[in-house]
Amino acid sequence: MNAPERSACFLLDDDEEKVEYSADTKVSNAGTFTFNKEDHTVANLLRMQLLRDPAVKFAGYMHPHPLVHKIHLKIQTSTSQVAPVEVLSAAIEDLSNETDHLITQVTDAIDKWKKENDQGGLGM
Amino acid sequence: LELVLIFPLKKKKKKMPQQRFPKIEILSIQPHHIQFILSETDTSMANAIRRIMIAEVPTLAIDLVEYAENSSVLNDEYIAHRLGLLPIRYVPEGSMRGGDCHTAFLPHTECVCYDRCPRCSVEFELDVDFDKVNMTRPDQDRDLPLTVTSRDLISNNILVAPAHFLNEEEQDEAHDEGISIVKLGPGQNLKLKAIARMGISKEHAKWCPVAVATYRFWPIITINDEACQMLTMEQKQELVEACPDRILELDEITGNLVAVENAYEMATYTEDLKVAQDAMKKRPEDDDFVKVEPSTDRFVFSVETTGAMDAEEVLFSALRVLKDRMNYLAAEVEKLKD
Repeated sequence: MNAPERSACFLLDDDEEKVEYSADTKVSNAGTFTFNKEDHTVANLLRMQLLRDPAVKFAGYMHPHPLVHKIHLKIQTSTSQVAPVEVLSAAIEDLSNETDHLITQVTDAIDKWKKENDQGGLGM
Repeated sequence: LELVLIFPLKKKKKKMPQQRFPKIEILSIQPHHIQFILSETDTSMANAIRRIMIAEVPTLAIDLVEYAENSSVLNDEYIAHRLGLLPIRYVPEGSMRGGDCHTAFLPHTECVCYDRCPRCSVEFELDVDFDKVNMTRPDQDRDLPLTVTSRDLISNNILVAPAHFLNEEEQDEAHDEGISIVKLGPGQNLKLKAIARMGISKEHAKWCPVAVATYRFWPIITINDEACQMLTMEQKQELVEACPDRILELDEITGNLVAVENAYEMATYTEDLKVAQDAMKKRPEDDDFVKVEPSTDRFVFSVETTGAMDAEEVLFSALRVLKDRMNYLAAEVEKLKD
């Protein structure tokens, strides 16, 4: 009776934005990003990438409640020259490039395997 | 004269990106099963790919069923549930492989049509009447129930059809010509129209393209030959037998402990080896003779599909979904910069 639509776990509501930001009042150079309708898939990926950035002093994510599809990603940078938004943006760009690289690698690896194993000329 | 030196405003230098360059090595490819090694990347990337393959790769599945007649022993929603779980295969023009349907179809919520159209859905018709079909069956079968299978679903899109079998082997072994839906007896018939739409597994498991999508960690087996010199042959044999996953063996010629060739397929990282070694060590602080550790950046993936898409296509689709997600998030985060 109260069950929400299954598609509510990945489709944005009308009044929701995908990403929201609120700067931390008590800690300098820190802020929390709220990703709506996301889960561990993207959050863990972003967090691990942020931790590899030397400008990041703190990066962590929370999934506050399993029934509410939001992720909080808290980032603190080590200097005030670099804002958390920039660091996040760089992390997303790096991941995007990594995925592109992975796609070319997969294509090449499959072609190589097919040549070596002499598959019949079916499909690509 | 005053010399006025004008320094240009220092531009914020873009940080060196912390990008990784992962490597892929294919172990085997069959139409429905792919095994590969992903290396030089993090667990988070491996897990993200796994999660996307399970939950977010779009496929086609029957979503609505309109009944004209159903006098079978199963009720309407039961048959609709079974129809929904049938794997639906989209084969692009010129290819023989189950492919990615996201280029050919729009998600139902995004389509601009009023109710449904060929761009966002595929219609299947099923019309089986026991008495009509019975007349064409050989005499000895006339009393037997008639199985309505996935072969009876007739699609309005020539590129889309249910995946009746996973491979030829399954087809040869099967009693029916396709996936059985319901069995009819004399006087029973089933007439329905089923509409298939594109969706992702997050919404319902019927849209899941994979049966299995998992990864293991590559085992790093270090054998301390020096320390092993102090062991007797019986002790070495004991170590070989201590592992339930049998990743060690005794080299016949040299008598040394070596790792089995396909150790990566079998390693389960149990404590048995450690316990056995502790019993053999002279002092507890001594080095281990054999150490087996899971690697933190090398993963052995195994992906098996349900038949709706080919295994490589699932992998490509998952990577595409990840890339599109990253691009979407990048655009949304840009908006926050203002």
